[in-house]
Amino acid sequence: MGTLDAVALAGAATVALGGLLAAIGGGLRAGLAVQAAGMALLGAGGLAVLTGGDALGAAFRSTIGPALGLDPLSGFFLAVLALTAVPTLVFARDYLPTSPGARAVGALTAAFLLALVGVLAARDVTSFLAFWELMTLLPAAAILVARRDQAVRSAVYAYLAITHLGGAGVWIALLALAHHGALGDPSALAAAGTGAQTVVALAALIGFGTKAGFIPLHAWLPRAHPVAPAHLSALMSGMMIKVALYGLIRVEFQWIGATPRWLGLALLAIGLLSSLGGVLWALVQHELKRLLAYHSIENVGIIALGLGASLLFADAGQRTWAAIAFAAALLHVANHAIFKALLFLGAGTLERAVGGLDLDHLGGLLRRMPWAGGAFLVGSMAIAGLPPLNGFASEWLVLQSLLHVALHRPLGVALAGAVALAGLAMTAALALLCFAKVVGLVLLGPPRRAECAQAVDPPMGMRAGMVALAAMCIALGLVPGLVVPTLTGLAPGVHGTVLARHAGLVLPGTGSFPSLALGLALAVLTTALIGVRGKRRAATSPTWVCGQPVARALGWTSAGFTKPLRLVLEALLRPHRAIEVERDGGMVQSITYTGHVPSLLDAALYEPAVRAGLRAAAVARRLQSGNVRTYAAYLLGLVIGLLVLAHTGALG
Amino acid sequence: MNTLAALVQIAGVALAPLLPGSIQALKARLQGRRGPSAVQPYRTLRRLWHKSAVDPEGTSVIYWIAPPLVAACMLATLAIVPVGGHAGPFGLGHDALVLVGLLALARFALAAAAWDTGNGFSLMAAARELMISVFGEALLVLALLLAALPAHSTDLRAMSVAAASGHIWSAPAHWCGALAFMLVILLETGRQPIDNPDTHLELTMIHEGPLLEYGGRDLAFLQWAAGARHWVMLILGAELFLPHWGGFAASLGLLLAGVTFLCGSLALIETTQAKLRILRVPALLGVGCAIALAGAGMWVGGVGT
Repeated sequence: MGTLDAVALAGAATVALGGLLAAIGGGLRAGLAVQAAGMALLGAGGLAVLTGGDALGAAFRSTIGPALGLDPLSGFFLAVLALTAVPTLVFARDYLPTSPGARAVGALTAAFLLALVGVLAARDVTSFLAFWELMTLLPAAAILVARRDQAVRSAVYAYLAITHLGGAGVWIALLALAHHGALGDPSALAAAGTGAQTVVALAALIGFGTKAGFIPLHAWLPRAHPVAPAHLSALMSGMMIKVALYGLIRVEFQWIGATPRWLGLALLAIGLLSSLGGVLWALVQHELKRLLAYHSIENVGIIALGLGASLLFADAGQRTWAAIAFAAALLHVANHAIFKALLFLGAGTLERAVGGLDLDHLGGLLRRMPWAGGAFLVGSMAIAGLPPLNGFASEWLVLQSLLHVALHRPLGVALAGAVALAGLAMTAALALLCFAKVVGLVLLGPPRRAECAQAVDPPMGMRAGMVALAAMCIALGLVPGLVVPTLTGLAPGVHGTVLARHAGLVLPGTGSFPSLALGLALAVLTTALIGVRGKRRAATSPTWVCGQPVARALGWTSAGFTKPLRLVLEALLRPHRAIEVERDGGMVQSITYTGHVPSLLDAALYEPAVRAGLRAAAVARRLQSGNVRTYAAYLLGLVIGLLVLAHTGALG
Repeated sequence: MNTLAALVQIAGVALAPLLPGSIQALKARLQGRRGPSAVQPYRTLRRLWHKSAVDPEGTSVIYWIAPPLVAACMLATLAIVPVGGHAGPFGLGHDALVLVGLLALARFALAAAAWDTGNGFSLMAAARELMISVFGEALLVLALLLAALPAHSTDLRAMSVAAASGHIWSAPAHWCGALAFMLVILLETGRQPIDNPDTHLELTMIHEGPLLEYGGRDLAFLQWAAGARHWVMLILGAELFLPHWGGFAASLGLLLAGVTFLCGSLALIETTQAKLRILRVPALLGVGCAIALAGAGMWVGGVGT
């Protein structure tokens, strides 16, 4: 057994030990620290495999016996998992002890992390599916332990129902692959014909896509992610949906052999729908965690765009750009994991500090919570795709990939690339609008509620977790070029180096993005201009409202800031609004305003599906007579039916 | 040549305010007024430089840092955009999509500053600007795509050189791109029919709105940044879409002619066009996107190339 195997095993054992420790009374903080140490070990192991390029442990096999191992792709996801999990666990040390059901949640956190690691390390179908199901069930258990109200229960129920229905696709895809002996062997499925290939590709797209939150399979995500405790929301939105993308990449890029062109186009379409839809419905949310959950949908959409572009390049035989687009998607996986974990931790901190996350009742927190607020600002700017932070680096890469799809390909594909390019640009601008709103309502302006005026920075551990993640956003934004060449090496069919290593991103066919120089230039120029501006002679004055006294009740709200967009897209968003005016003797006593934007897909897709399901259940209930003899007849019928099928040879 | 180009780019820092000034002067002439002279923006900047700033109550570091940050973004874009197909070795690359990111950063800084003041008029304008930019950014990348098609690159220098090769002027795709980019220019420079640079009525402002609380040197930075935005957009329009040929000197001369032509066009459009209803602007930009997509289809389909 080599050193690396030992490191990885020791890491997993340490995480498990931390989980046990957390369950013991009084050991919660120590247990979480031990878990963080274990995740750091695992991450180091993953990083070593990623950079070393050699696989660890078993290789993929289609047999039943359990096997574990790591290859560079698993190593990358493991490293990203550790990068987000360690700060999250450090955060949880100060966050969790005051939460309800803290010890159980602490232990379940370790189990959840091990399930995530297990999916990444599984090398056969049975352990993959086992860890996959655990990964779905464990956060649900943790949410139910931590929150006991009815609304949360129904959210968790929707989560389990949708992910299990969709998750059937994962089972079908993997069992079919194992049946053909195609795990880790791309030629096996190609030999089985395009029919089997199409079934596997579609099943994996639906199965992993449900878990990743692709629209229209996303409905569980904005329900389940916001109700979890902050550190679990961070891990779910940051990593769980990424592990689903890991499965998608395994199947669609590595195991189904030559990828058909329709799959690339389908991923572009799904990516476009998810990114635009996710950000649009994020914009009209007024609760911070729900808004962040919708943004996760947007970001998996962006990743899907990168993956789709990669498949289209591979289809055209353009290996270099296929590898670059693949690396773009992977870089966005890492970036989104980092800034989304940061933002969810920030939301948890704010909720603790002021007692609620309704966007219209926050405000002024940057001045009062400089550490948490500053980190939250960095995360917001990163997710909005602003240079020189990490979100821009990966979005730039995806934009370049789509633009080059439009440059090089036959007409239909080129136009798809152009449309996706415009869609991604719109997505980026919508995310900017959304996070300008979030930053403004949460961090800036006057405190919109008494608690906000008294808010103070959280304890050291929570602060440290958030600041570490914010530092990663900045570091990855300044030197993405150090990571990208390694990621291009993970693309299927790549041998040798595709890109040279620079600090910035130097690609063929672009004007290059020297991120470090640009970041430094912006910092130096801004500082210089502040110097030129000199000592400020500034008069303090009230805000200008045409000479009227400033009335806080007239301040701008979340709904107000997005109103122009809601009006423009009224046909699509279908906002509901109701104004009730209460009069007494001609005098207006009170005015109440309610408005919300319903989820279009919920109304158009899920509600009819649920109604049909209930009707079908009512029909099926007639089979349940309660009479033992009827059930015996069912059994007899089943046995006879199976015997007939076996006799005719239909069962193979 | 690159050194000379660098000098022109640096001169752009000083020359930028001349563009909005000359457009205003030209427009006044077209409308039969005498109007302010073309150097009026410089007088405004000098006046602002000697005035004291204003700090609305309760503002934070965001309000304080936004004006220098916006100006720094525009300085960086000036370094990225080539003149006459060449650019100085500023080390910031010459990528078209990086430019999009820098413009977005400036927009975010101003919107955040508007939130920091809590001024209703600033926020109204910021919300409108961000809403319009959703469609504007799609149009911008599509226009840039059309300029990148013949160059096979998003390097602005290569795109400029590709636009200089005569056969492209007969390609309908190129002129689709030019039309789309003209709309981008109208949007980014805040001109009619999208925005009205002359209005100082709070209810109708878009670009001017978030500047409302600023005074003194802060406002001077922001006014200069507005000038720099004219410079960057008009240079890009002339470099990527207007005919130019010959050596570097000839290219520079044609660039000057192109920018003058675009200034004249803006003045003419502003004289003849009324401002659109704000909710109609996305439709205008959407038509631009459709034209650009049609152009991309024609180019890839080989129409006229």
